[in-house]
Amino acid sequence: MNNNRIMVVDDEKIVGDMTKMSLEQDGYAVETFLNGEAALARLREQEFDVVVTDLKMKGIDGMEVLRTVKKLYPETKVIMITAFANLDAAIEALRGDVHDFFPKPVKIKELKASIQRALVK
Amino acid sequence: MSGLIGLFKSMVVEKGRKIVRERFGSTPVSFKVMFTRFRQVLDNHNRAIEIIADMGAKLGGEYIFDINYIKSAYEELHNRLSASLSDFHVLTRNKYARLDNVFNRIDREIRRLVYDETSSFNETVVFYDDITWSMVREVGGKNAHLADLKNNLGLNVPAAFAVTTHAFDEFIKHNGIKGKIAELGQGGIITETALRDIRDSVMDGTIPPALENTFGDALTGVRTKCKGNCSLAVRSSAEEEDGRYSFAGQFETVLNVPPDIKAVAGAYKRVIASLFTDKAVAYLEQSGHDIRSMKMAVGCMLMVDAAASGVMYSSDPDLKEDAVLINAAWGLGPSIVEGRTDADIYTISKAAHPETTVRKIGKKDSMVISREGGGISTVKVPAEMEMRSALTNEQTVELADQALRIEHYFRKPQDIEWAIDRGGRVFILQSRPLRTTVNSAVRPAAVLSSPEAHILMRAPGTAVQKGAGAGRTFILRHMDELGSFPKGAVLIARNDSSDFIRVMPYASAIITDIGTPASHMASLCREFRVPAIVNVGNASRILKHGQQITVDIGDEGAVTIYEGVVKDILEDANRKVSMSMEDIYEFRKKRYVLRYISPLNLIDPMLDTFSPEGCKTMHDILRFIHEKSVAELVEGTRHGLRKQAAVKLDLPIPAGIMAVDIGGGLDIGEKRDGDGKVTFEHISSVPLRAVLKGMMHPGVWHSDAVSLKAQDFLSSMMRMPDITSENYMENNIAVISREYVNLSLRFGYHFNMLDCYCSENTRNNHLYFRFTGGATDMVKRSRRIQLIAVILKEYGFNIKIKGDLIIGRLSNIRQDEMELVLDRIGRLIAYTRQLDALLHDDGRIERYAHNFLEGKYEL
Repeated sequence: MNNNRIMVVDDEKIVGDMTKMSLEQDGYAVETFLNGEAALARLREQEFDVVVTDLKMKGIDGMEVLRTVKKLYPETKVIMITAFANLDAAIEALRGDVHDFFPKPVKIKELKASIQRALVK
Repeated sequence: MSGLIGLFKSMVVEKGRKIVRERFGSTPVSFKVMFTRFRQVLDNHNRAIEIIADMGAKLGGEYIFDINYIKSAYEELHNRLSASLSDFHVLTRNKYARLDNVFNRIDREIRRLVYDETSSFNETVVFYDDITWSMVREVGGKNAHLADLKNNLGLNVPAAFAVTTHAFDEFIKHNGIKGKIAELGQGGIITETALRDIRDSVMDGTIPPALENTFGDALTGVRTKCKGNCSLAVRSSAEEEDGRYSFAGQFETVLNVPPDIKAVAGAYKRVIASLFTDKAVAYLEQSGHDIRSMKMAVGCMLMVDAAASGVMYSSDPDLKEDAVLINAAWGLGPSIVEGRTDADIYTISKAAHPETTVRKIGKKDSMVISREGGGISTVKVPAEMEMRSALTNEQTVELADQALRIEHYFRKPQDIEWAIDRGGRVFILQSRPLRTTVNSAVRPAAVLSSPEAHILMRAPGTAVQKGAGAGRTFILRHMDELGSFPKGAVLIARNDSSDFIRVMPYASAIITDIGTPASHMASLCREFRVPAIVNVGNASRILKHGQQITVDIGDEGAVTIYEGVVKDILEDANRKVSMSMEDIYEFRKKRYVLRYISPLNLIDPMLDTFSPEGCKTMHDILRFIHEKSVAELVEGTRHGLRKQAAVKLDLPIPAGIMAVDIGGGLDIGEKRDGDGKVTFEHISSVPLRAVLKGMMHPGVWHSDAVSLKAQDFLSSMMRMPDITSENYMENNIAVISREYVNLSLRFGYHFNMLDCYCSENTRNNHLYFRFTGGATDMVKRSRRIQLIAVILKEYGFNIKIKGDLIIGRLSNIRQDEMELVLDRIGRLIAYTRQLDALLHDDGRIERYAHNFLEGKYEL
């Protein structure tokens, strides 16, 4: 068991469900959110070690989630996942602030490896 | 016998040729046009195969994907196939125009899933004989699976018809219930009052006139079939399409219903009403479904006048032994599935000659029988029959045999309801995937009991779902006490019951004094992974109500009950329950689309089913297009374009290759007109010569068929094309010029495709090699792919593997080097023809690859 907290934000249920199941198998405590609003509300009451968020969402999007995370918890690492088509734009816009990028579909092994790297202090 | 088959095949082929000649007419198509179209068909085909393989990989559980991926991948596949189809129609001069209808139909099914579009299907009643694969959503999983077993596997399933979800919609609309369903749960929770209101409306409702007419016609059909002397079983078919969630015992089943409209309508309403109970709602919530969007299909099936009936598992749910398990009792099925009586238990080994290895006769004191005039009743079993085996040895073996056929057909262990009538005939009444409870690690028994923990009870029993749970005991005396079951408690009862589903989401464990592992409750516990054990004797008397306990149900089928909460036991057990992606409803739902895309049903082009109508998936359509395009090219050159005729290569190996020369590939001069043979010496295509040289290399082409086990022999003859027969090879085709070859080779079930330009100009040279398919199981096929990968890497190829497809690319190679590589690829093509059948374990991959690279080709 490890006690690291992971937040997953994606407006498609399957992404949260699959990520949660994969990460829980490794002992992470995972919470999933279907929109940015709910994620931000939770962030105000709970710190997470890693936030995995979709870039494009209705309402509060991944960029805003990222900004809020960085403002509240500068140590928390953010991994951005996004549709393949948006990848270049995303990399350009977010260079520097983001721990990692992944185009969807994301290979679970690679996501796990990235989270492990994020947790090395 | 093989001579006869050969003669028959050659007759079929000759007939086919004649038809092609007749249809071909006199309009010549220039070869250039034909070949261009052919190349385009091939290009799109290759890309489409890559997309299908990619979708299989991305939706296989190792990637996190979203609907956008499925949409974009499918759109590209659709475009490739559309383009391929239009080239194909030009190439074949619309000979297979009806393939468009099939393509559109499959496309509609896929779009319904991907874009959540609604169905245009509007039949209300369908007889099992007419149920096809595409109706699964409308007739429900249970009906669809049974119809499948009846129509495609030829099993004995009683005559039946399905009342579709469309009928359900009509009924709900006709009686004004739609609004009530939509309003369910608007105040946050679904109340029993609201559900009761809907149930009442259903029971008071009337069948819409159009549906009543259709019902009436169907019943007339049924009465004619059984000459009036019969009754029906009316049951739900709400099971999910992939059978993942069984809804076992959730809904009403009405047995022994007289085949008249009034009685059947009443039974239909009872079944529909049972969707709206708190028990069903609890189940639906637990399994991720929404009561408001559920539609229930119903099955009406002729009752079997059962002497004995029961449940069987085609595999041991614990996967401890390779055996079929059968539970049997006298009379009708409910005796077992509702856990009403002790049953006989048989274990039949899965061997070439199955044997009954365990025969445990239960005390079958009661049984369910049909009542005169309708309905059922439970009666006492005559004393002399109580301890008599309900099945003869022959019957257990026959049942096991059918179970294995079904398992093989669905490629998953099955949970099957069966009955044997008074004439001794076996009937299959239901089949659904069996949930297995395999553990990732077996822990030694000594470690599990914490030394300090006080053991209240330890008893042998029949484990239903292994694991551990802790909570306060809730000893159930009457069913109506279930309403006050506290969350997290351990349910302890005298008998098992499917009613327990109401508390299953909150139960930490379930223990019953008596019961069978084949009951509905058992299926439900396995589905929801609630630790459960039955047949423990007297737990309901030994334990006290409200006591804090920890329950540990172990590998050896015994239960240990500790006082208090024993943390290490809980943690240890919970670690072992590893969930898989398959447990995510959204995952299964999205992945379902692959059913219309990936499977390959069209295998043998010699069969009648190798037709547009035989195409059930996009992969089938691709296969059909590819096969017929190659055939068209061969036929076209043979009959329409005599000047550029395809010529058969007369080689020392029976590779059955037709060559189409588009410029300088053959040097045959005057021989073309005579009966003279075209041999290797006449080939002037540099790359074709090189690859054939490799294929003909001494010792690499093994002509003996790899031996099959004796019991496989007959069935494989029926199924497998005789791959040594020339009929199966004559469509192998090489389109060549002096510097170019495009070689399509099919041997049995696998395909080699090689496209190579080999000239003095190094920069123009490329080699593309593709290998896919095979007759053996996926594991062995994949091993062959890995072996090919090892070898191609050695020759410097860039390779890509997806499932049983491998693609290798090489470019910028000097001509002499290219010829050398082609020679080796030729050897590889010959060497790997039947190799998959020999790759019994991973270790052989390296060994055979090593041998090949060392130039040792014996198998």
